[in-house]
Amino acid sequence: MSLAIQISNLVFTYNESLVLDHLSFSVEKGSMLGIVGPNGSGKTTLLKILSAVLTGSGEVKLNGRYIRSYGRRELSKLFAVVPQESQISFPYSVAEIVLMGRASHHHPLALEAEKDLEVARKSMELTEILSLADRYLHELSGGEKQRVMIARALAQEPEMLLLDEPSAFLDLKHQVQVFELVRRLNREQGLTVVAALHDLNLAALFFSRLVMLRDGRVYRDGTPAAVLTEEVIEEIYGIRVQVQRDPSGEKPQIFLCPSC
Amino acid sequence: MKVLDRKRMIWVNGVLLALLVLSVVGCALLGPVRLNLAQALQNMLSPNPDAEILFRARLPRVLLGVAIGGGMAACGVVLQALLGNPLACPQMLGVSGGASLGGILGLIFFPHWLLPIAGGLLGEISWVPLAGFLGALCSMMLVYRFSLFHGRLHPYHLLLSGVIFNSIIAAVIMFLNSIVDFYQAQGLLFWLMGSLSTRAYLTVAFIWAYIIFGFLWLWAKGLSLNLITLGEEAAMHLGVEIGSLQRQIFIASSLMIGAMVSVSGMIGFVGLMIPHVMRLIVGSDHRLLLPASFLAGGIFLGWADTLARMLLAPAELPVGIITAFFGGPFFLFLLYREGRKKLAL
Amino acid sequence: MNYLTRASAKHFFLCLLALLLGREAFANESQALATKAIPMRIVSLAPSVTETLFALGFGNRVVGVTTYCDYPVAALRLPKIGGFTNPSLEAIVAQRPDLVIGVNDSSHPVKAREMERLGIKVALIAVTNVNEILNSIKSVARLLGSPKAGERLVQKITLQFDEVKKRVAPAPRRATLLVVGLRPLVAVGGKNFIDELITLAGGENIAGNAAQPWLNLPDEYVVAKAPQVIIEAGMGSERGQIARHWGDLKSIPAVKEHRVYAYPSDKILRPGPRIGEGLEEIARLVHPECFADSKGGLNKGSGCEGS
Repeated sequence: MSLAIQISNLVFTYNESLVLDHLSFSVEKGSMLGIVGPNGSGKTTLLKILSAVLTGSGEVKLNGRYIRSYGRRELSKLFAVVPQESQISFPYSVAEIVLMGRASHHHPLALEAEKDLEVARKSMELTEILSLADRYLHELSGGEKQRVMIARALAQEPEMLLLDEPSAFLDLKHQVQVFELVRRLNREQGLTVVAALHDLNLAALFFSRLVMLRDGRVYRDGTPAAVLTEEVIEEIYGIRVQVQRDPSGEKPQIFLCPSC
Repeated sequence: MKVLDRKRMIWVNGVLLALLVLSVVGCALLGPVRLNLAQALQNMLSPNPDAEILFRARLPRVLLGVAIGGGMAACGVVLQALLGNPLACPQMLGVSGGASLGGILGLIFFPHWLLPIAGGLLGEISWVPLAGFLGALCSMMLVYRFSLFHGRLHPYHLLLSGVIFNSIIAAVIMFLNSIVDFYQAQGLLFWLMGSLSTRAYLTVAFIWAYIIFGFLWLWAKGLSLNLITLGEEAAMHLGVEIGSLQRQIFIASSLMIGAMVSVSGMIGFVGLMIPHVMRLIVGSDHRLLLPASFLAGGIFLGWADTLARMLLAPAELPVGIITAFFGGPFFLFLLYREGRKKLAL
Repeated sequence: MNYLTRASAKHFFLCLLALLLGREAFANESQALATKAIPMRIVSLAPSVTETLFALGFGNRVVGVTTYCDYPVAALRLPKIGGFTNPSLEAIVAQRPDLVIGVNDSSHPVKAREMERLGIKVALIAVTNVNEILNSIKSVARLLGSPKAGERLVQKITLQFDEVKKRVAPAPRRATLLVVGLRPLVAVGGKNFIDELITLAGGENIAGNAAQPWLNLPDEYVVAKAPQVIIEAGMGSERGQIARHWGDLKSIPAVKEHRVYAYPSDKILRPGPRIGEGLEEIARLVHPECFADSKGGLNKGSGCEGS
């Protein structure tokens, strides 16, 4: 299997402090990778470099090509980003927002073609927001908004999906919905998924591989069972936990026990 | 699923364009003095009062008003998108202050010494707008320089440096105003309040050239303007070369604003209000919003200026009074209606 | 949001307000101030007041003038107390005046109240029409203890007026436009002493029916009213361009007959003791044919009666 993302010796400094410190790992095409780690470990910076918002020194290759060699339009066809939260100061309808995902696919001077509308409709169907198409974004709930963002990302017809803590502002039901959707897309459409995650239990449930960052370096890389051990959690987060299996007996789940 | 399609583009812009043409004709026929149209059209070439009123006093003025109204509204739209701030308006950018200062310096220090050398040339082009435009270009470069970091124009800095720059310039203008003689000071104040009075087709053509050029440039960025309102990062993710876009919007709108302010002074409110009104009517898609605001701004300022000429006839009111007086309440009404609708949901 | 226009509009409206209120509310000058003590240290708040004081022969009592007071030349050397609309209270107090004289247009009534609170005597004179100007000269003379000087000066001006009236009497009235700025076109309206001067000079102010003393005229109004004489009397704004400015409006008789004049003159614009000369200047521009003989002897048949 070929590699979607190759990162080697990635360094990023901000105000003379090292945010990413010679980071190296790679992601296979069609896989799902969760990036976990405490605040300030470099997750968000890593995602920003992967989405070419920031540039670090070191090598970042997408589909075997250096990220620098891509133009923005080209990049936006290669991968899509689902932000944590989106603040939009002007009134757009859901359909308009989703169609913006097609911006790189049609000529900048042209209106959306029938094909663009078709793709947008499909991504709204997949995310179950077609019925909201004519509503304004600011009228929607947090969960609905997040699905709009995913629909917009899908409308880009990307090969890779980058998610930055996509469930941060969602309730339990919507958290699970978002990750189920992402997993389905990964399985059915072969989408490569890279997500920065805060919730270790959700990460363990939905991702087959986790990368644990610490101080801008890869601290652990492997299956959830290998990464989320009691020792690692205590080392990284400085708290004592118990790790047990979920009902299926495969996935590790972390239990806080301040008293134990 | 309602989205912008060709039919809607053609419909909205077509209706507005027709209204604009009707407005130009209407505004040229109306005024504080009665016009004998037959007389004006029959003897177009020989000097007669009716023809001069129509073709010299009114038509260039109406054409200028339409261009400035459209240009201000279009600049308002793109600046609101660029700065991510619904309250942005052309007067906010330091360029307008620079153009005012340039124009005022031109008014005060009319280069009499140049007259013998370049008398003919100087007579053809009007000196004050030229000085204003030079001022606009200088201030544009200054504000640009102060807001550019790592190849990106920082909206926050752009906004703030523009506002601060304008306050500094306001101070300089007030200073100049208190050192020149009384009648000159009156002239400066009148000039600052803005007027569309012109008879020079050359000036009108100059303004139209800038506005059409700037407008087309900005309109071509319509799709990117949509994306930039989602936030800088989101726009980048969706394929926008953000640094280049910001610079292009800034330069295009600055050139337009500089040209407009240097000719007509500061005519406020059109650039703030029309974009909001049109957003409520045609939606936020800039590919439609921009031309629709351009046309609506032209219609609005055309009529506002006609009212300014007629309301206290024979005295002419500063057109800014009309734009604020009639536009303000209408805007508040729309805002109230919109708020009620939103809260009812 | 819009600092420049807001600031300037505010300034403009303050001026306008003072103009409108000042005229009605303070029509009679403070006669209560005409006490026994004759003022010896006078501060003038307006160029016209300064001119009046000097013309009455009291130039040596003036201890403070505005930065605009440039006539007579002696006034230029006097201490400055600020501008016409914004005199400095401090600078006035520093001159220890026993009388301050201002006009009740502009910002002076407001300033006057502040000065009176400080115990400084202030007299405001009304100068919105010719009658008021002449009366104000008399009352200034009374305030300074020599009513005779006032009578003499007013009589001199009245004689100048009569001379001009006599000369232009036979000539038909000429539609006249008098402006003080081209961009924008600021013209003398009604309720302005210059409007009266135009009438006395045998002209007819085309904007005389306007309610405002000064107004911004649209070009079309000028074309429609077809003035036979256009005078630009302002000191600023693109001087020397006036003929060119009107050049494209050939239907205006003043343009056709080359009666467009750039004539910057404080004598015309200042409501002071030189209005007699100002009137003659206007009359010479409106009816030059009536003054054809002014250098030589009498010259009948100069065309003054005709056209």
